[in-house]
Amino acid sequence: MRDRIEWLLLITLTALLGSGWIYLSRETGAAGQPIALTTAPYVGALAPDFTLQTVAGERVTLSDFMANGPTPVVLNFWATWCPPCRVEMPHFEAAHGLYGADVAILGINQAESAGAIAAYAREHGLTYPLLVDGDMTVNHLYGVLNLPTTIFIDRNGIVREVLIGTLSRAILEQRIEEMLE
Amino acid sequence: MLPYLNLGPFGLPAGPLVYLIGAWLALWAVDRAARRVSGRRVAAGQPALDPEHAYALALTALLAGFVGARLMFVLLHWSSYDDNLLGVVWPLNTGYNGVGGALIAAAAGFFYGRWRRLPLWPALDALAPGLLVFLIAVSLADFLGGAGYGSLTNMPWGIDVFGVRRHAVQLYEALVGVVALGAWWAATSARVPVVPGRPFLWATIAYAGGRLLVDAYRENAALMAGGLHVTQVVALAILLAAMALLAWPARRRESQTAE
Repeated sequence: MRDRIEWLLLITLTALLGSGWIYLSRETGAAGQPIALTTAPYVGALAPDFTLQTVAGERVTLSDFMANGPTPVVLNFWATWCPPCRVEMPHFEAAHGLYGADVAILGINQAESAGAIAAYAREHGLTYPLLVDGDMTVNHLYGVLNLPTTIFIDRNGIVREVLIGTLSRAILEQRIEEMLE
Repeated sequence: MLPYLNLGPFGLPAGPLVYLIGAWLALWAVDRAARRVSGRRVAAGQPALDPEHAYALALTALLAGFVGARLMFVLLHWSSYDDNLLGVVWPLNTGYNGVGGALIAAAAGFFYGRWRRLPLWPALDALAPGLLVFLIAVSLADFLGGAGYGSLTNMPWGIDVFGVRRHAVQLYEALVGVVALGAWWAATSARVPVVPGRPFLWATIAYAGGRLLVDAYRENAALMAGGLHVTQVVALAILLAAMALLAWPARRRESQTAE
């Protein structure tokens, strides 16, 4: 009986201390918003708007592409340490050269510094806009958990498709062509 | 971080390489652990545990987990594959669902164990080190590949990640795995009475408790309502369940008969 009470006390104490620690280590502010464990945003819904800076300090707002043009947008979430992202980035560069202003290709980095991103872009000859998301606001806004994640947004700002994992050049170009039709 | 190991003109991705080595070491650990557990049981007058069956169970779970993790990912993201079926089987360097893989591996292991009539708790005791070795490999693969990185820090033990100082949370996780292996080793030592399930539960408590602690320093953790880290909540639930099982009176009765 005494053993049972001791165990009960120990388990209760562990539950209290553990819950307290979880509460203390929770994310607060914008980063603390619930993140769906499924892919977000949902296909068919309006893409959440955002403004970020490129590595050169130029401000880029998603809704500007819908207002001016309008132009379909491809968002590619990536990081320099992500090997699959490195594999597909030349495809985005090629698509940027091929489609020019017809499609906006935006690379949204995950939590790295502008300096690190700029150095990577120089080293690999990337010229399409690479946006800095140091505090992960837009990564959290789009519920990005896996890298790379690519989101196709049509001229009306509606999410057409969310693809997770490495894209081949053929798939990327096919999806862009579909948005341009 | 070392995402690629460059050997002359060849670049080997470090993450998958560590996974392969980790899987091999995990199977080796299961074999060694099964022999140790079986030896201790025989010395205590309990039936032996067949190491070959324990090894086969681990191999079955590992293969089922690999295939299951891939299939689960493909199902969840079918739009990425419906017009590119070759993409389901190649490339395999990305696109796995860890939770799905773990569930399918557990189901495959459970049914294999039932088929071979393996006793549940001694089998779990033998499997625990292999599972821990695999989890340590996952953490090391994340460290080399750069995934699952830590939060910002000014502490002297922080590591430089592309110009930013961060907690080496993947190494903290690996250290937790090593501590849990120590707990398993202690629970199977000759000085501790043989209680089926106790080594597994000690290792589970050490690992879940450690992950509860260190996951606070992970930057890109999956979050739930209120900004709580999903891994921490799951770790606490597992920790409490393992403690409750350890305290379960039926298990202590089993302990008394074992002495």
